Amino acid sequence: MLAQIVINGILKGGLYALMAMGMSLIWGVMDIINIAHGSFIMLGAFTTYWLFTLLGIDPFVSLIFSISILFVIGYGIQKYLINLIIRASAFITLILAFGIEIFINNAALVAWTADVRKVKVAYGASNFSLGDWVTIPTVRLLAFMLVIVIGTIFFFILNRTDLGRSIRSTAQDLDAAQLVGVDVARTYALTFGLGVGAAGAAGTLWSILFPISPMMGGILTLKSFVVVIIGGLGSMLGPILGGLTLGVAEAMGSTWFGSTYENLISFTILVLVLILRPKGILGGAD
Amino acid sequence: MLLGIKELDAGYGDVQVLWGLNLKVEEKQIVALVGSNGAGKSTLLKVISGLMRPYRGQILFRGEDITRTPPKEIVRKGIVHVPEGRRLFPQMTVEENLVMGAFRRRKDKDIRPELARVYELFPRLKERRLQKAGSLSGGEQQMCAIARGLMSDPRLLIIDEMSLGLAPVIVDDLVEILKEINSRGTAILLVEQDVQLALSNSHYGYVVATGRLVMEGPSEELLQSKEIKEAYLGM
Repeated sequence: MLAQIVINGILKGGLYALMAMGMSLIWGVMDIINIAHGSFIMLGAFTTYWLFTLLGIDPFVSLIFSISILFVIGYGIQKYLINLIIRASAFITLILAFGIEIFINNAALVAWTADVRKVKVAYGASNFSLGDWVTIPTVRLLAFMLVIVIGTIFFFILNRTDLGRSIRSTAQDLDAAQLVGVDVARTYALTFGLGVGAAGAAGTLWSILFPISPMMGGILTLKSFVVVIIGGLGSMLGPILGGLTLGVAEAMGSTWFGSTYENLISFTILVLVLILRPKGILGGAD
Repeated sequence: MLLGIKELDAGYGDVQVLWGLNLKVEEKQIVALVGSNGAGKSTLLKVISGLMRPYRGQILFRGEDITRTPPKEIVRKGIVHVPEGRRLFPQMTVEENLVMGAFRRRKDKDIRPELARVYELFPRLKERRLQKAGSLSGGEQQMCAIARGLMSDPRLLIIDEMSLGLAPVIVDDLVEILKEINSRGTAILLVEQDVQLALSNSHYGYVVATGRLVMEGPSEELLQSKEIKEAYLGM
């Protein structure tokens, strides 16, 4: 029983980790708390839904499309919108992100109505058992493995490429990065593209596992936020640790207290972390 | 003339900091720019390296107008600004910092010879190459900052407040290394609050006060002048 709960939690936690990776990257590098993050997850989910419904493209395959489309959207938004006000106070970028969120959500409502939809793949209900006690849904395991793959690619980009070096140097010291010749405006646009691309990937995986609707983003922004805070900013490990913690805690909580308490549990954890370890589990370390 | 600054006015919004500043650095020279805290030295450097745009005036580098050139292009043209407070990338290793220094050149050139040359100048950095830059001592951080600047093979190296917060014996070492760098053909603009240090290790000097040029001349002459002695050297 406990093993099953923990495994359920870890599988969902992987998805939380992916959601938070994009938010953490954007926050850590540019000091932007991207309130529209959940809306980008929603756009990723709908990309997958429509590619599946209209063209019959397998949701896992559509990952490539949702990542690329959302990357381009993110790059454009940063380059033509946020970069214009990036030197203003954090409050101004917060308001802009808020405006972007409202715009995207309502445009989606107009375009797709408020209906709750589901990507119904034929293999959706298949699962397998480990021993007598643990059952693992195949799609969830597949989604979890994809999170690991995407996370690894992320890690590789950040640590082994020129783009990664520009991103990390900009995050660590903006002026110094400019002085060695990093093009900060371009780095910002690519960073936002990457972060939003990761949100798109999370949206695809979310749409395979759960029902979707245009207003799904709000709570996902909040969950990503909680995960980033729990894990701590400044490294890839933070969102992963935070995501798994939240996933397992929610799984345990909803089993023992009922699933209505799921959100209560996440935000209780948020408050506890803010009181006990305000910089997150990994805060201050690197 | 390597670097020429003409009639430069600059500031932050409505607050003007620099007033009609003129300055020249010749090839292979070490030029000192001295003045007390708040004189506008760091503002001038930000304008030269492209981090700030001036209100008026002109900056020429090797005969080319670079007044409104973005920082990344200025680095490529051969001006490197080692900022006050070292400003290393603290979470990166020493070697990663050095590689970042060659960011603008890496695509077209192999940087290994540069890295070897820099390690030869600063053997201490080679010992610490895999250590996080944030964990270095102050002196080592300053070495790393200068070394990072050298990685782009500059024609003009601008160093802001090199001696700040460092023990005199370490400053002496750094000065020797600067002279070595200069003897290999790189011009240096040494920006210092420590007037004695800067003027006794340079060919030519400029004195600024509240954003205006108040004196200039060969460094030896400035060191002997009565005004400098009274105002800055406490003699």
